[in-house]
Order: sequence, then structure tokens, then C-alpha cells
Amino acid sequence: MMRLLTEWTRLRTGMVVAALLIAVTGLSGCAGSARDAEAADAARALHDALARRDGNAACALLAPRAAEGLETGGAVCREEILRLDLAGGDVREVRVWGRAAQVRTAGDTLFLTRFASGWRVTAAGCEPRPAEPYDCEVEA
Amino acid sequence: MRRFVRENALTLFFLLIFLLALAGQAVTGMARLNHDLVAEGAAPVSLLAYVTSGDFAVDVAENWQSEYLQFFLFIVVTVWLVQKGSPESKQPGEEGAGSDKDAMVGAFARAGSPRWARAGGIRRWLLSNSLGLVMGVLFLLSWLGQSVAGLSAYNAEQLGAFEDPVTWAQYVGSAEFWNRTLQNWQSEFLAVASMVSLAVFLRQRGSPESKPVGAPHGATSVEN
Repeated sequence: MMRLLTEWTRLRTGMVVAALLIAVTGLSGCAGSARDAEAADAARALHDALARRDGNAACALLAPRAAEGLETGGAVCREEILRLDLAGGDVREVRVWGRAAQVRTAGDTLFLTRFASGWRVTAAGCEPRPAEPYDCEVEA
Repeated sequence: MRRFVRENALTLFFLLIFLLALAGQAVTGMARLNHDLVAEGAAPVSLLAYVTSGDFAVDVAENWQSEYLQFFLFIVVTVWLVQKGSPESKQPGEEGAGSDKDAMVGAFARAGSPRWARAGGIRRWLLSNSLGLVMGVLFLLSWLGQSVAGLSAYNAEQLGAFEDPVTWAQYVGSAEFWNRTLQNWQSEFLAVASMVSLAVFLRQRGSPESKPVGAPHGATSVEN
């Protein structure tokens, strides 16, 4: 009986530790390699569309607010985004937390948000500023 | 079954209202988040997605850690500090862990005493301090959970504001982490100070947390 109890206690401890590990890795984003890849793909797709000079495809990858941000003063997103001359390059780093992501490429830093339809770019052409948010050419 | 419920009614009642309140927190928290998401033009999240998110976990854990800290401190500090007239306190002069006879351990253990009360060494020490130890460990685990879940929620906010995410070490040194922690601690400490001191002068007839209604204000360690 005592052995059974000891085994059960060990099993229960193991289950609690496993649950904690799953919770910790899930929350910290360590288990998010698939999400990392999806966010990186969205950033790459934007840069590919820009490389093809396909303004419509590029604007479709922006979050609605980011696309609207380019349409001030009668400007049209598909034309405006091509004028910005955003740099692309290989994906160097992807950081995903919750529904938000940051993708660093060789020439750019992008921020993304996960929508029901997938990852959309909320900011691109971003330069870091000390003690302030990034300064971005496109932003929601 | 009926007897089990009656004999454990206090625990069962609090477990039930805990689950109801937690469910209410989940539903209202999801509604608040979805209101913000829709306003931003993003898709709303499901209840399952919300209860497994850092946003929900940090709100739960920051409250849990402060409650367990409150009880840990209440249990341990009342060994050494007294409040004259409070039913939550020992008599002035009785500060400390007390004698083996008072604790009913070792040679003073009785027929129904737990086995480890009769044992010596580490087993007796563990049983003698098990309530404080478990509350202390639950506090530390909840606090660790708060830091991990809080990091997740904080970094999602950072990215949403076009700022770099921070490391766990940076987060536990941040104003965000300590503000969340201290705003919970201050309310727990006030609640304990209120309970200990108000129970000197106020009564609740029938409650074991109160002195008998007719007990003098100066009578310490007298419970219903």
C-alpha cells in the first residue's frame, strides 16, 4: 500500500512538473517555432512583393491600420509603399510574444500582429531610437 | 455523501466560489480583450485562447502569490509577534515556537497524533513547519508564474508599441513587475492588520475568528 502511495505521489509530482513546463514554455513562446516561421514568411512575402514592384500584394500583407496610414492626403497604398524603397534581405531573427512579432532582416526591422487571416505587418522600415519606440516608415 | 459535504462545507464553499469567480474573470477578461482587439481591427480570441494566454495567467498568478504570501506571513509572523486583545494572537509572553509539550510532539505525542509528530529529526521539523512551508512554496511558485506570464504579456505589449521585447531578468527588475506585485501586497498587508486589530474591539457572534461577544477587549487568544 505504501509503495503504491509513493508511486502515485511520484507520478503526481511528475504530472505537476510536466504541466508547469508546458505552461512555462507555452507562455514564454519557446514552443512557438511554427509561429516564428509563419511570422518570418509574412515578412518575407512583403519584401518579395516589394522586390516584384507589386504594390497591391504588398498592401494586402499590411494590417488595415498600417495600409490606412499610407493613404493620407489622397495617396494610394499600392503606389505609396513602392515609393518608400524598403530594404529586404535574409531573415536574421524572429521574436514572437502572444499575438505580436518582431522580424529582423538584413536591412529592415518589421513588427507584425496575428489576425484571423494570418500574420499582417503593422510596421516596416523601422529604425531603433534610444529609449523610444522604433521610428517606422510604415506603421499602424 | 451528505455527511462529507457537511463536514467539509467550509472548504467546499470556498472552492466553489473560487471556481465561479475564476470563470467570471476568464469570461470578462476575454470580453475586455476582444473589445480592444476589435477596436484595433484585429480578430477576437476564443475563450480557450484567452485562458492559455499570458494576459490571463499574469492576472491570476499575481493575485495568487499575494494571497499565499499573506497567509505565509500570517502563519509565521504570529509565532513571534503578538497583538494584545486579538483572537488571532497568542498571549503576550508566549512568543516563539513553544515547548514540545505544548506542540504535542516527541514524548508528548498522543494516541491520535500524526506519525511524524512522534518521530524525531527532519520528519518532526517538516511536520512542525509544514503549513508555513507549503504556503511559502506556493507563494514562490505563484510569484515565479507571475513573472513568466507577466513577461509574455509585457513583451506582447512592447511589440505592439514597436519596442524591443525584454529578457526575464530585465522584466523582474522592471517597474511593471514590481508595480503589479506591490499593488497586491499592500492590500493583503492592510487586510491582515485590519483583521488583527479590529478583532480586538469588534465581535462576530458564532465565528471562530472572533472572541465571544462578552469577552473583554483586553482578552488575547480567546476564540469562540
